[in-house]
Amino acid sequence: MHELFDHTADLGLRATAPTVNELFAEMGRALLASMVEDPSSVRAEVSERIEIAGADREYLLFDWLKELLLRFETERVLFAEFDVTVSATGLSAVARGEPHDESRHALAHEVKAITYHELKVVERDGGWLAEAIVDI
Amino acid sequence: MKSAFSGPLEHIGCNCHRIPKSYKAGMRVDGHIYASPTLLEQVRKDQAADQVANVATLPGIQVASIAMPDIHWGYGFCIGGVAATDPAEGGVICPGGIGYDINCGVRLVKTNLFLDDVKHRMKELVKALFHTVPSGAGRSGRYKFDTKETRRLMGEGPRFVVERDLGTLADLEHTEAGGFIDGGDPEQVSDHAVKRGAEQCGTLGSGNHFMEVQVVDSVYDADVARAFGLELNQVCVMIHSGSRGLGYQVCDDALAAFRNCTTKYGIELPDRQLVCAPAESPEGKKYIEQMRAAANYGFCNRQLLMQQAREVFADVFGRSWEDLGMEQLYDVAHNIAKLEEHTVEGVKKQVWVHRKGATRAFPAGHPEVPEAFRAVGQPVIIPGDMGRASWVLVGAPGAMEKTFGTTCHGAGRAMSRMAAKADAVGRKIEKELEQKGVIAMASSRFGLAEEQPKAYKNVDDVVETVHDADLSRRVARMRPLGVIKG
Repeated sequence: MHELFDHTADLGLRATAPTVNELFAEMGRALLASMVEDPSSVRAEVSERIEIAGADREYLLFDWLKELLLRFETERVLFAEFDVTVSATGLSAVARGEPHDESRHALAHEVKAITYHELKVVERDGGWLAEAIVDI
Repeated sequence: MKSAFSGPLEHIGCNCHRIPKSYKAGMRVDGHIYASPTLLEQVRKDQAADQVANVATLPGIQVASIAMPDIHWGYGFCIGGVAATDPAEGGVICPGGIGYDINCGVRLVKTNLFLDDVKHRMKELVKALFHTVPSGAGRSGRYKFDTKETRRLMGEGPRFVVERDLGTLADLEHTEAGGFIDGGDPEQVSDHAVKRGAEQCGTLGSGNHFMEVQVVDSVYDADVARAFGLELNQVCVMIHSGSRGLGYQVCDDALAAFRNCTTKYGIELPDRQLVCAPAESPEGKKYIEQMRAAANYGFCNRQLLMQQAREVFADVFGRSWEDLGMEQLYDVAHNIAKLEEHTVEGVKKQVWVHRKGATRAFPAGHPEVPEAFRAVGQPVIIPGDMGRASWVLVGAPGAMEKTFGTTCHGAGRAMSRMAAKADAVGRKIEKELEQKGVIAMASSRFGLAEEQPKAYKNVDDVVETVHDADLSRRVARMRPLGVIKG
């Protein structure tokens, strides 16, 4: 489950999931929801492999979202579906989506960057919760 | 999450409120927040004041962690924050104190047209601007530079585009720092950043960025207005944008590169987003070289935006832009750090002045004020919201004494984006603006809702506060006639 939350001039992304792997996938979907008006308009037509090293879960989440944003910015690909495996040393993921098509994907915001501010990955109520603030 | 600030804010005169060092462990100096009694109520509503206190913990910070009356809650630094650090005292450079949008700023272009010349043509003019000037998320522009050219552009600043007939040398003279910040090194900017910026020079972007056609609504200081070439009912163009994806990526790269610096240099921070490095450290020096190069890109971006506006006006009015008197009044950054000389406790020092949503406001006589304005002071351009007003101010001596030569940068948000969007449900913002005499076009449906006038504080209140505190003085109030947004 994911949602966007208020942060004055910016936006917050929040996700909850039973496992860390699903949590990272949900945060990928939350990022998409901040970028496009209708996330369901993005089809899983291309797939890309993403590998990120890092032991700190919060920095790993930051790097994960940053990588998805960078791929949109430089390759114009929007990602909608994710299989993520988080290990003690990093993550390995397959992200599926499609190139941005102006006729079908109305962009909602230009996400400038992911921030460290109040970045969170915590265990809660037998599951996991993540939060990140993105700069608009 | 958005709790009110319950800490001390002690009035110490001239609209300045103090957060004493004792408020939080680790504060090296007091916090100073400039706000009128009305604006202070809004300051208390969220944790922006706590962020002012956090900034006061930065190593080498001088005098106070300062915030302008358009302060609002940011990430790390508050928006409207000013911090000067002394490199000789281990002072740090803090990417979060500059922001992702390095050299976000404002440019004001004059015309010799008056309200009566344009009022019946506003729809046509706004439509032409909207279709010519690329705006909106991730949009690329008509000027495409390959990676080699993008690096050259960062190395040379807007001179690079002016040499290609996209402006004049007078434009450069009327830009902060003459349109070129020395000491940048484009080779230090990552390939990712260059790739993000290569096709975006000359594009507005999204969020609060805009291009507006405005009219001088009131003149407050006739002598300074004359020196600036502004008069009642004159039409101007205001441009608000920054360094696009290139700047965002430079900041991003620095945040990653600085991750281990806090441990390496023994810096304790209350918020990870304040991650920093001593300005004289290898990491600090590298970021400064990147940041300066990105700032030069920002000046180029606004130069190309202005040039497109000039071409549209020429098309619509059937006269050349020179004939329309489209001279640049000034261009000033409000997200930047500059090494400047300031007098601290009677001693002249070179300090790193971080301005995060705050504008340089040098007074008359300062050597960095262009010769044309040196007798009156630096023009300060303050964008407001799209329904009410924007302002032209002039730098004042009080800024040198109290705020490291700095004043406010805008209206400051009063409502969050989501609240503003919810508030706009069922309303037609374009129609409401049209009834007020403003023609607005935006590329995103959310754009107008999130940026509606109500989402901002009243810029007139913000400007009154800085005027009364002598940080800058009122020259002219500008009313919007036409707006294009991302």
